[in-house]
Amino acid sequence: MADPGPLWSAALLPALLITAAAATAGLDAVLTAGAARGRAGTVRETASRAAAPVREVVRLLVRQPRRTTAMDVTLLRIGVVLLPTTAVLAAAVLPLGFRAVGDPDIGVVWFNALEALAWAAVWLTGWASNSALALIGGYRFLAQGLAYELPHMFALTTAALGAGSLRVGGVVDAQAGLWFVVWMPVAFVVYLVSAMAMAFWGPFDQPVGRDVSGGAGAELSGADRVLFFGGRWLLLVVAAAVGVPLFLGGGHGPWLPGWAWVLVKTAAVLAVLVRVRHLVPAVRMDRYTEIAWLVLTPLTVLQALVVAVVVLGR
Amino acid sequence: MDLTPLVRLRRAALRRPAVLVAAGPGATRVRLAVERELPRRGWPTAHGPADADLLVVAGDPGTGHAEWAAGVWDAMGAPRARVAVGAAERVADALDEAHRALLAACRATGGGHPTVERRPQEPGRGSDLTAHRRRSPGAGPQHGRTGHEEHTGHGTSGVAGAAMAERADDRDGLRLDRLHLPLGPMLPDWPAGLVLRLALQGDVIQRAAVETPPPSAHHTRPAYWDEPWLRALRGETVSRGAAARRLCAAHLDSLGRLLAVAGWGDAAARARSVRDAALTDTPAAELPPLVDALARRVRRSWVLRRSTAGLGVLTGARAVAAGATGPAQTATEDGHGDVYGRLLAWLAGAERASAESADARPLDGPAARTGPRGALDGPCPPSRALLDLLPALLDGAEFAGARLIVASLDPDLDGLVTSAAGSADGTEVRGG
Repeated sequence: MADPGPLWSAALLPALLITAAAATAGLDAVLTAGAARGRAGTVRETASRAAAPVREVVRLLVRQPRRTTAMDVTLLRIGVVLLPTTAVLAAAVLPLGFRAVGDPDIGVVWFNALEALAWAAVWLTGWASNSALALIGGYRFLAQGLAYELPHMFALTTAALGAGSLRVGGVVDAQAGLWFVVWMPVAFVVYLVSAMAMAFWGPFDQPVGRDVSGGAGAELSGADRVLFFGGRWLLLVVAAAVGVPLFLGGGHGPWLPGWAWVLVKTAAVLAVLVRVRHLVPAVRMDRYTEIAWLVLTPLTVLQALVVAVVVLGR
Repeated sequence: MDLTPLVRLRRAALRRPAVLVAAGPGATRVRLAVERELPRRGWPTAHGPADADLLVVAGDPGTGHAEWAAGVWDAMGAPRARVAVGAAERVADALDEAHRALLAACRATGGGHPTVERRPQEPGRGSDLTAHRRRSPGAGPQHGRTGHEEHTGHGTSGVAGAAMAERADDRDGLRLDRLHLPLGPMLPDWPAGLVLRLALQGDVIQRAAVETPPPSAHHTRPAYWDEPWLRALRGETVSRGAAARRLCAAHLDSLGRLLAVAGWGDAAARARSVRDAALTDTPAAELPPLVDALARRVRRSWVLRRSTAGLGVLTGARAVAAGATGPAQTATEDGHGDVYGRLLAWLAGAERASAESADARPLDGPAARTGPRGALDGPCPPSRALLDLLPALLDGAEFAGARLIVASLDPDLDGLVTSAAGSADGTEVRGG
């Protein structure tokens, strides 16, 4: 199972991720419109609401580019392109079924490293816009990274520890009998929370929050905006999808083939993450840092300890 | 009409344009009408000029508002269109006209995108019909860059003619860059017309000063949210039900802003739709269940309480000293006095008011003198007291907290121009 996927799978990966992101954005658009205008009466109306993200992309692409004074165009381009690139590269270790585009020995670390690269992407975008609100958005994401990363890394470590491998394929193999979520529930919940935080999504969307007029993305228009916010959707999809091989048994499951199980489980995780955005207001980072460091970090350390003891006793 | 495929695509893409509403002083009624109309059409609202196709300018000219709006307009990329709306009844027509203008603006391709400009006119006359074409200034890649920073609170530092940030001691005794930044008046979910002059270090506010627009000569109408009480004070007969509906809607409007700033878009949208129900002819019996359901949902949120409690604490003594009388002051009596306490005071006020919306008795007694933001027969308008309280509450606050504090006080700048003492003949009592 360790052998990498065929070359064409690397070409297919971005298309698959974009499709998943569009579907997720469609679901979110339906929920958003439902809150503002009430439930859709007809199927046609629902479909029209779900198509809003696609309309939005076309609308942005026909717009003329605009610049703010003394904008650092090079840095901005790097930041804006880095975000979707990061997401796609991180997805390379994702097994669809039991085969990923690549399954390196340090797959879990690869994912974690690329996710940290997203910090750079958001910060560069916020900085390069040369606008105070965009800069504040960029700052916020760094503060957010500081807050969520510690418990997040312990959650990743716990899964790797349980499998005795940093290879994502190895983590999936270790769950043939029992899914990790069953005996590592704390790590799984913390992972879901940090999945939202790394994609600055839902309660963690303050880096691009409405109170700073869109924050790091405030000054983006046209294709830049599509890349940046599209990159965020990709990141959300990838973050949700990585939770499946790490905690939800990857392709393991009865009746269906492995790839179908992965799709079903990923869709379920995404649905939960999208729903959370509509149920929970934004978390202010100064308050969340307290919870992350004083509550979540000790809890995840404790979880890792329990897992370590079980692994040693086997 | 001969359309190239590119133009066709552009027109299709702009079928539902993103709208930026620039609501200035005196435009509450128009803003409410626009906020009702946009979801009905399924048109998205823009966060700022970067992603806006249409600019809707509502407000009295002569208050400096038009200049701010022009700055926002300059910061928008083509294709774009703008429209000035003076009367709530004209909103739907004005949006249609602006949309037609936007589609027409798409037709031109190449470097100079012609845009349609509509000049603001006198209030109460509806939108301006005399659209004319002009070449957008500086079309091309550098398009729409000037004035933007100054006018929307997006400041610059460094090169290109702007001053470098100076340094100053921060709250922890370090010497850090300090940025002077005007905040407002055209931020989303921001009190119309309010400008805060901030000295920022990172995202910590060192100093804040309130700047309010000069009162406009055109501004003769009573403030929308205070209207029933002002009329009652003038001796007109106003039913308690009508006043209760307005009070309920005023609190829900403030609540919608606070929830939007707190990053809870769904609840904010809900608050606004219940607000619209209170303002339109929804039967009185149907109103309380709507308000109660919203209030329950908001009170249940642990995250909201956690991120707003303990923020912007106002002591009872300070509230009284500043002359605050409305929910901001009652919140101090209940022992909270923070952002969350003021939010709870609005919820309680809206629930009480929604239960009274069928009361046909005339408005009298102390209730006849107290509008949504406080007593209207006091020495100064209630929103003036709120504005006076702002700078001290903002000192040392982080940006996110500051936005929540401003939203939790939600001063109504229209209420500065007209108050009970001087509104009978429409003269201004006290301005900024």
